[in-house]
Amino acid sequence: MPTVDNPAGKTLAELGAASPDEVAQLFSEVRALFDNQAAKQLDPATWEALKQVWTGRKSGVLTLITDNWLKPATPELKRAVGQELNKLKAQVESTLEARKRDVESLAEHAASAKDRADLSLPGVLRPVGTHHLIRQVFQEIEDIFFSIGFSVVEGPEIETPYYNFEALNIPEFHPVRDDMDTFYLELPKGAPGPLLLRTHTSPVQIRTMEKRQPPVRVIVPGKVYRRDNPDATHSFMFHQIEGLAVDSDITFCDFTGTIDYFVKQFFGESVKTRFRPSYFPFTEPSVEFDVSCVFCGGSGTAKSGGTCGKCKGSRWIELFGAGMVDPAVYGFVNYDPKKVSGFAFGIGIDRLAMLKYGIDDIQAFFQNDVRFLRQFP
Amino acid sequence: MKVAYNWLKEFVDLSVPAEEIASRLAFSGTNIAGIENGAHGAVIDAEISSNRPDCLGMLGIAREISAIYRLPLKPVAPKPAESTSAKASGAVRVKIEAPELCGRFTARVVRGVKIQPSPAWLKNRLEAAGVASINNVVDISNYVLLELGHPLHTFDYDLLRNHSIVVRRAKAGEKLKTLDGIERTLDPGIPLVCDTDGARAVGIGGIMGGGETEISFSTKNVLIECAWFDPIAIRRATRFLKLHTEASTRFGRGADPEMAETASRRCAELILQLAGGELLAGVIDVYPGKRAAKKITLTRAEFLRVMGADVPDKDLEAILSALGFAPVRVDDNRGAANSLLAAWECTQPSWRADAEREIDLVEEVARVYGLDNFPPRLPVARIAAARLPHHEAETRLRERLIGLGYHEIITIPHVAEERNDLFRPPDAQVAKLANPLSEEAGVLKSTGLVTLAGAIEWNLNHGQRNIRLFEIGRQYRLVDGKPVETRVLTVGATGAAREQGLYDAAREYNFADLKGDLDAIGALSGGFRWEDGGPEWLNAAKRGTLRLGQEGNQPIGAAGLLAKRVADKFKFRQDVFLAELDLGAVDCMFYGVKNNRRYEPLPRFPGVERDFSVFLEDGQSFAEVKKAIEALGIPEVTSVAAADLFRGKNVPAGKYSLLVRVTFQSREATLTEAQINDFSGRIVSALEKTLGASLRAA
Repeated sequence: MPTVDNPAGKTLAELGAASPDEVAQLFSEVRALFDNQAAKQLDPATWEALKQVWTGRKSGVLTLITDNWLKPATPELKRAVGQELNKLKAQVESTLEARKRDVESLAEHAASAKDRADLSLPGVLRPVGTHHLIRQVFQEIEDIFFSIGFSVVEGPEIETPYYNFEALNIPEFHPVRDDMDTFYLELPKGAPGPLLLRTHTSPVQIRTMEKRQPPVRVIVPGKVYRRDNPDATHSFMFHQIEGLAVDSDITFCDFTGTIDYFVKQFFGESVKTRFRPSYFPFTEPSVEFDVSCVFCGGSGTAKSGGTCGKCKGSRWIELFGAGMVDPAVYGFVNYDPKKVSGFAFGIGIDRLAMLKYGIDDIQAFFQNDVRFLRQFP
Repeated sequence: MKVAYNWLKEFVDLSVPAEEIASRLAFSGTNIAGIENGAHGAVIDAEISSNRPDCLGMLGIAREISAIYRLPLKPVAPKPAESTSAKASGAVRVKIEAPELCGRFTARVVRGVKIQPSPAWLKNRLEAAGVASINNVVDISNYVLLELGHPLHTFDYDLLRNHSIVVRRAKAGEKLKTLDGIERTLDPGIPLVCDTDGARAVGIGGIMGGGETEISFSTKNVLIECAWFDPIAIRRATRFLKLHTEASTRFGRGADPEMAETASRRCAELILQLAGGELLAGVIDVYPGKRAAKKITLTRAEFLRVMGADVPDKDLEAILSALGFAPVRVDDNRGAANSLLAAWECTQPSWRADAEREIDLVEEVARVYGLDNFPPRLPVARIAAARLPHHEAETRLRERLIGLGYHEIITIPHVAEERNDLFRPPDAQVAKLANPLSEEAGVLKSTGLVTLAGAIEWNLNHGQRNIRLFEIGRQYRLVDGKPVETRVLTVGATGAAREQGLYDAAREYNFADLKGDLDAIGALSGGFRWEDGGPEWLNAAKRGTLRLGQEGNQPIGAAGLLAKRVADKFKFRQDVFLAELDLGAVDCMFYGVKNNRRYEPLPRFPGVERDFSVFLEDGQSFAEVKKAIEALGIPEVTSVAAADLFRGKNVPAGKYSLLVRVTFQSREATLTEAQINDFSGRIVSALEKTLGASLRAA
């Protein structure tokens, strides 16, 4: 660091500066001197020296200027000197601070290679668990419906035929029972029976309406059982979310609006929806609900060029069944079908998760292989 | 059902391609599985829902199309030439003894037919519909079934004894060999068609004919049966017999009783056309089940109340008319089109047993009008939404376990009884399935442990050695024959607690890991009390029973090392740790503890730690040490912790060395050296006195 050869040691008079212009000229010389020194390659020691030279309390340049220029300045020049000095001071301080960051980082970089962190090595990996994917999807759906006023309720998985069938307008020998092959429990002699494993979450509709008067707005997540032989798309246990809304003024338009809202929240705003008339004993009108294929964007053509394997080129994927609650159901829970109306739906969660995440085997959900679980943190 | 496009043209004048028709059908309630363009033109594969048996025939599908496109439906009015000399009534008698099972029975007789292969057009139609051709008369009955949706049966007239037909209930245990050659045992719920005044069974009504009276190439005279059977009786019978046929599907869902005579006439017409012969004049028609058509009123007010948007009069009336409901405006505002007060009186068509209420008409109009004409909107909410009562407790627990490295699993509760019994408490009654798919899935799990152990087994068998899992699920038991489902948390772990890595040495998961992790979740509910003992499935040396809240509360679970006896059944070759907790109690305490939790000001003065190294007899517990120190009642003792534990070198046999770390802290002032020495001295003498512990220099 060269010794400071600058005008600050002399007074303005000695320097022959008598006008504001001449003062400004002097200051610009000092600034140039500082810029020159600060621009040099610095290490922590030379930076410290630079700082001392310029901001040292006793004989730093800034102090000298204050003592030699400002204090003795004539009243006409005092204002100009003061302004220029403040500008210089701000510049010196900010430059020194900036240079300090450079100097420190340079110093850290210069540390020997053995101390340097190898970014390609892993950190200390503490094992972290995962939410089951089905649980994640449940949670997401619950949150969507919760945000539009649906409460969450649960019900038993071991049910009576009354709740699982009769009260849902599915009397014995109804053809729909053939589509819901049912597990029954073996009961001890004399026990009241029969008991079955619910084939859908719909019994909880009945249990809820028995307990509450309208308005009712609930969703029911849970396990359901159908006696199907297991394969890639069938499991004899799977998951549903039932939805039910009953009030004095719920219409089909409210129903489609609700489903539409849910699907756009779940799959994204760009997804298209459609309703096809269908049949379920406990809803009327009943619908099947489709969304535009989320894999091919509803084009029917896979990215690779061929027919989309997920929608088989149809551009649509059948998602779930739903409809307006059949008035006959209200009869079972002592609601007046002339005064209330509502809708119900049953969403298959496993299928939804398979669609959303491209899973091709439903069994993977229940094998619980940790390599599978870790894929969905 | 396979619907041939060309066949439909006999009922409606179609000008649009099959693809468009299929699409329009799909959007008005007929599910379409696909379209095939084969040798006989386009064939639409329609999946008819169980409430619409009227669509199980070309006529029914054509009626749907006529409603969708507002096209006229051509009438079905077969007019076969009848004999001028011989009457059917002279050739056969019919009696229905079970009118509750058989609501109508018609019979026609055609004499002098020639049984031969069917002409190409008939074969092609049947082939397009997926039905094999047999001979002209049998093919005709199949053709009429597909065309009009009504099942028929043809008998070899000459093989019917006595020509006196009786329809009665089968007798219990009565047997009949059906057309397919199988001898079937019947029960009294089954309608039986018999000859010889009811003595011999010749067909299971509405399901399948008997083998003895079948049409063959030597048949000369044919009796056409076209009847109507009660849907519930037929469904019951098909389930009892495990026999499903085209006929049983239609009768089981509800055929059109009015169609029976028409279909019979159509059949006779085609027989005369293709097999020749002479149709005896008239028809035997026994019709005890005839009912007057039901009137149904539809109001616009109700339509709006359900659908939320309107359909103009013109469309509403056109749709209902095309579907056969013959709507008539009956309200006082009849002159005003689209009046909000409009009401229509409709007549239920005989083929639509499913549509008998106002709501059914609402659906009919809406589905044909098009569901996309009802604009979606979000309903108004009048009540606040609530989560499940245990939502917060369960979420906190789940998050904490996941943070501790456990993966959440979901298992199927069906397990083998033998496995279930490894964990089932002796007093718990198993929930057994009456119709399991296999022995391996014969009972519902009595504990969550059995399926969690199963998940560990799966992972070990698939090369995964370090596993931490938990499940929040249910256990299923019977109590006095009633089902009880209890929410439980099951936790399991095996393998390395810490894997060998760049920075750490490997360490196996052990009992202390399980205990520490459980205590981390127990802290949410006020902390677990661990007590000696536990269930049989745990290793007696490494197990504990857990309680919450006050001493003496019911145990809420158990945790420990899986007993070797049980581990061997799973072929586990490494230590497996398991725990199961009753979530009802955990959740309940969670809310209690949370609601009573209050802020405790942080101490302003520094704490001081002192270590005491004591030799203890094996079997003496840390709890005894802690208790002895706490018994001194020194308020400045804020914590007593076990800091280190050592056995072996420099420790006498039968003893172990325990480093106890005691923290002293005062809320009033910084403690002086003298105070701390005084506390330490009292602790040392207490430990020596109460435990006989010898102290090492700490």
